[in-house]
Amino acid sequence: MSCTVIAFGELHGIFAWLHELPVSIGLPDSVQAVVMYAALGVTVFSVLSLFALFLVWWERKIAAHIQQRFGPMRVGWHGWYQTVMDALKLLQKEDIRIETRDKVVFFWAPVVCFVAAFLAYVVMPFGKGLIVADLNIGILYIMAVTTFTVIALLMAGWGSNNKYALLGGMRSAAQVVSYEIPMVVSLLTIIIYVGSLSMVDIVESQSGWFFNWFIFRVPFGPIAFVTYIIAAIAEANRTPFDIPEAEQELVAGYNIEYSGMKFAMFFLAEFVNMFTVSAIAATVFLGGWNGPFLPSWVWFMGKTLTVVLLLMLVRWTYPRLRVDQLMEFAWKFLVPVTFANLILAGVLKYLGYWE
Amino acid sequence: MAELRTEEFQVNMGPHHPSTHGVCRLVLTMDGEKVVAVEPVIGYLHRAIEKICENRTYPQCSPMMDRFEYVTAMSSDYVYALAVEKLAQLEVPERAEYLRVIMLELNRIASHLIFWGVTAMDIGAYTPFLYGLREREDIIDLFEMTCGQRLTYNYIRIGGVSRDIPKEFEPKCRAFIKKLRGKFSDYEGLLNENPIWLARTKGIGVLTPETAISYGASGPVLRASGIDYDLRRDDPYSIYDKFDFAIPTQKTGDCYDRFIQRLDEMKESLKIIEQALDGLPEGEIKAKVKPKFKPPEGEVYSRIESARGEMGAYVRSDGTTKPVRVKLRGSSYNHLALVPEICTDVLIADLVAIFATLDIIMPEVDR
Amino acid sequence: MGLIDHIRNLLKGLGIAGKHLGRHAITIQYPEERMEMPERSRGIVVLLSDKETGELNCTACELCMRACPTAAIKIVTHRDENKKKHLDVFEVDNGLCCFCGLCEEACNFSALKMATKYEFSTLGADELVWDVNKLQEVGRDVDYVDTRKKKKPKPEPKADAKPTAPKPEKTDAKPKPEQPATVSEPVNPAGSSTEEKVNEEPLPEEQERKEEKKEGGPTDGSV
Repeated sequence: MSCTVIAFGELHGIFAWLHELPVSIGLPDSVQAVVMYAALGVTVFSVLSLFALFLVWWERKIAAHIQQRFGPMRVGWHGWYQTVMDALKLLQKEDIRIETRDKVVFFWAPVVCFVAAFLAYVVMPFGKGLIVADLNIGILYIMAVTTFTVIALLMAGWGSNNKYALLGGMRSAAQVVSYEIPMVVSLLTIIIYVGSLSMVDIVESQSGWFFNWFIFRVPFGPIAFVTYIIAAIAEANRTPFDIPEAEQELVAGYNIEYSGMKFAMFFLAEFVNMFTVSAIAATVFLGGWNGPFLPSWVWFMGKTLTVVLLLMLVRWTYPRLRVDQLMEFAWKFLVPVTFANLILAGVLKYLGYWE
Repeated sequence: MAELRTEEFQVNMGPHHPSTHGVCRLVLTMDGEKVVAVEPVIGYLHRAIEKICENRTYPQCSPMMDRFEYVTAMSSDYVYALAVEKLAQLEVPERAEYLRVIMLELNRIASHLIFWGVTAMDIGAYTPFLYGLREREDIIDLFEMTCGQRLTYNYIRIGGVSRDIPKEFEPKCRAFIKKLRGKFSDYEGLLNENPIWLARTKGIGVLTPETAISYGASGPVLRASGIDYDLRRDDPYSIYDKFDFAIPTQKTGDCYDRFIQRLDEMKESLKIIEQALDGLPEGEIKAKVKPKFKPPEGEVYSRIESARGEMGAYVRSDGTTKPVRVKLRGSSYNHLALVPEICTDVLIADLVAIFATLDIIMPEVDR
Repeated sequence: MGLIDHIRNLLKGLGIAGKHLGRHAITIQYPEERMEMPERSRGIVVLLSDKETGELNCTACELCMRACPTAAIKIVTHRDENKKKHLDVFEVDNGLCCFCGLCEEACNFSALKMATKYEFSTLGADELVWDVNKLQEVGRDVDYVDTRKKKKPKPEPKADAKPTAPKPEKTDAKPKPEQPATVSEPVNPAGSSTEEKVNEEPLPEEQERKEEKKEGGPTDGSV
């Protein structure tokens, strides 16, 4: 794999090296691919796990500052490794397992949730050349694997043998299935324009200045962006759509019976999911890694974190919707709007509006 | 298609639940998400305050009253003091009455600020809770400056108040009034017109005036249903008849109206405090009360408009230093009785909203 | 209301939250910074010492014990041959104390004060019971206005006192202009002499029961 230096600080050399690593150390052909993907997987997984911890800290800080508090301040500068310590604490905690649980389902739910959260990063273009595998069905793949989370939440709700947890699991199933549709349809409008499902193709067709980003470039872009963000918040189970774990109603929803590291897995997966939906928004609507001067991964991170910040602001401002209102909003408002948008995009494409 | 067989199930909401303020247990019979029946179970916070009072002298009962309704401890102090003063026919100095009114109204605002924040939090918005407590903190600072405590004030005593206000109280209080008036735009901007908030509260938990009266509802809950009844005006105690203030009412009696009602009442309370500060006379702050205070034989009931509604104290004396019987009336008890009435066929999220906007405080229910 | 209004109102909420994001926190980091407690703040009960001699101001009159609604104060006294009362035990159970301030108001000798201190957490409930030495030691640096009537010509009790200082007139029992300077006589302004005898060595519970018997009963019908 050839690589040319685009700007100082580009990291894609590391990925290229990892790609070539099995060949360069002379492994037999049969295991080359396995070793390569294992190495890449471990890299991405560890970086993202740490990043999820950072996001937890960041959310706490943002929430605190909105509420004119300090947030974590004790460990490190402004408590920067507070969440690392929290994770360590949760690791040491007793894993409380109630007698009446469904043993298999209860055990596998956090695992499935945690794994599903990371699956999407296989095709996530973190920067120019910073991608594990550029699948030609990239975005379809993401849409497929992010829905795995709902299975995990249903498993957690059922396996806990707790009424609150069950209600939370059922709510999450209803919610994620409903909001999957507007989310996919919002993305479809852009895919129609690009003509490719590959994440790299989507980003590369937005190269140039910010007016080339799809949110500004195409007439249906802003609407698609807004509907995507709304659906994405619901996908990530965050306020105002956090009904699966609505604290004031279901105490903690699906994860009510989980403790220790199993709870931490749910918790981290939630933040990874939030990062995933923000990264997709950044990639598809905000030009991905494209940007002048700075390294591409910095642009990607900057855009993603901006979307994350928006999600956090929304979370700490708005009240929670009721479960029936949530479904009404999805089916009576969001789905028609996104479909109208899709038809508009299709018509414009047919008329050759932008060619 | 065959009819799907569904089964109702029971959920214990509480005594430890994030949205049952204090330790109230609601036994919910649910059909999926829908609440079919609610049965409140009380008694988890019973401290036998009324019984304890029978073993204390009259002045010693006053700290107990702080624990009766600790969110507006000034009101519960006052209702007891008022009863004993009626019994002993004490003349309370005018300055003391003014100070009492200032404190009572400040406490009403503090209570409504908590209500505002807690209701927002129960419906899912976390930030208003902190904003509400932020302003409440200023009020608490004023109280601490005056009487030395932040929650259990023990300030309003039999015959007057325990201490005069310090010099810096008045400027600080006026600054607070100004500050709070400026904050209302934030409060209203955050929730009042928010479509999610409207969807969650409008038309939810409608309390008709007839139901409200038949269950003995009072205070903001009653006024939100459109009944113009406020003891401060209709059965004036203290010196409330000297002040010029409006009694806001709403029309429909749903959650949104109960929410707005408290915001409106805060604004009126600010007016009362301003007038009281303007007209604050000089003079004594406490009537002469004998060390061994023995009110004459008799019984008396006093009632005031606390932040939650009508609060009453019945005191019977046999002429000794200790009351024979003290009975307290908390409006939350009546409001809790309303919960099963208006919470049938609502979703569990609505139940939380209704419970929050009724502003039930468990110590007042259990005593 | 139309969709545009809804969106505007949603954005208004976001704006308010965003506005606060840039503001400074109003909370403080507790162990490093502490709130300045107001002068009147009612914290731990401490015993005050004479500013000159360093001895306790307490005269063992037991007024505070009688005023306490939760029986948190325990006082044991004995009389010497001159019938003067001496303090044997003075204990405050901070676990029982409800911080109402009635003891401070009952005290006529500036002997007891609710200081502005508020940190007294311990690992065990029994450590919350503070004896006279501990109470005196904690109260050493507590500033107070001495309202005792001394032999000195004018103790100027409250004229120049800070407005926040505890004033004596709040204690309902202020009956001692004829109070002797040295406490040569047992002082019990509230009670009669009979009561003194009854309360020779009162435990709080015991005393309560006695008082109840004495006053709560229907036999005592005099008003």
